[in-house]
Amino acid sequence: MERRTFHAMGTEIELLVDAEGAERALDAAEGEFHRLEALLSRFRDDSELSRLNRDGSIDAGPDLERVVALALEARERTGGRFDPTVYDALVAAGYDRTFEQLPADGDVASSRPAAGQVRLYGGRIELDPGVHLDLGGIGKGYAAERSAELLATAGPCLVNAGGDIAIRGGSWPVGVESLTLQLGGGGLATSGRDRRRWQRSGRELHHLIDPSTGEPAETDLLRVTVVAADAVDAEVAAKALFLAGSTRAAAEADAQETPAVLVTDDGRMLLAGGLA
Amino acid sequence: MTNHAGRLYALALGLVVFFLAWAVVAARPWATAAPDPRLKALAAREAQLQQEAKLVNQIVAQRAQLAHVTQSRQLASAVAAPAPVQVVNLPPLTITRTS
Repeated sequence: MERRTFHAMGTEIELLVDAEGAERALDAAEGEFHRLEALLSRFRDDSELSRLNRDGSIDAGPDLERVVALALEARERTGGRFDPTVYDALVAAGYDRTFEQLPADGDVASSRPAAGQVRLYGGRIELDPGVHLDLGGIGKGYAAERSAELLATAGPCLVNAGGDIAIRGGSWPVGVESLTLQLGGGGLATSGRDRRRWQRSGRELHHLIDPSTGEPAETDLLRVTVVAADAVDAEVAAKALFLAGSTRAAAEADAQETPAVLVTDDGRMLLAGGLA
Repeated sequence: MTNHAGRLYALALGLVVFFLAWAVVAARPWATAAPDPRLKALAAREAQLQQEAKLVNQIVAQRAQLAHVTQSRQLASAVAAPAPVQVVNLPPLTITRTS
């Protein structure tokens, strides 16, 4: 078993591979995170995403095109509970630079609901005037999947991008709250409001924006962990369930047979979607 | 002598007027200029290309729609097939936390 950790995309990345002498695969998997961060970060002026947000359109490379397509698909599938056009709401809430660079306090601007059309024509992406994209809600899951593809050339592997986990082969015990879940494939992700918090005008804010209001989501949930077919689906489903609130989230997870661990803000842990 | 020179001038003037009139009539200013066949061919080619571009756009849009539907179905089937998972009593190799 080989393990490597490093920092990318504003979080700690962990690579695990059940093989010996996997240095080249580990290098490739780590490089993939840095490559995708350079393309998809909204905090880098020279990223493809920043150019799209600045110019309103771009002839995108295959990764940006794919991630935007996945994000739009997720918006449709979740009925708008996941929405990549929350960029301006995030900035209005004060999340306008990397989390490490955020000041302790400051003013908050008026928010607005996420909205606006994003058009994809092959590799061409066009945004409605005034629309900007944030791919932070899906980018790490995508990077974890891409990285796992490369790492899997050495053997069964797990890629953990700060809680967004992609698995290729093998069977992996993963700690979720006080439980250990044995995963035989697919992906897992956790979303919550217990990290990436900050204050503006004395008010506590977090990064999980409700697209319908443009404000940090107010629900009775603290964290949601979802197991799905891959890390991208898990990341999207975790955010969508978080916004739903505990009762509706548990019902939806059961109905969709999506294994989920819900933690309420009073500390209760609920298992749903077939987990017991 | 004077009459002879006058007649010569009159003849010369008449000839000039005659040739000018002939040139004007030969130019047929009342007739519209015939269109250049090369311009006609160019316009026809442009119309044909525009028609072909419309068809190409229609085909691309249909294929994009088909790809979108296929992708949606793939995603739906992927979501419908949850990854195998169970709660176990083992120490975890890694942990998940809020990303």
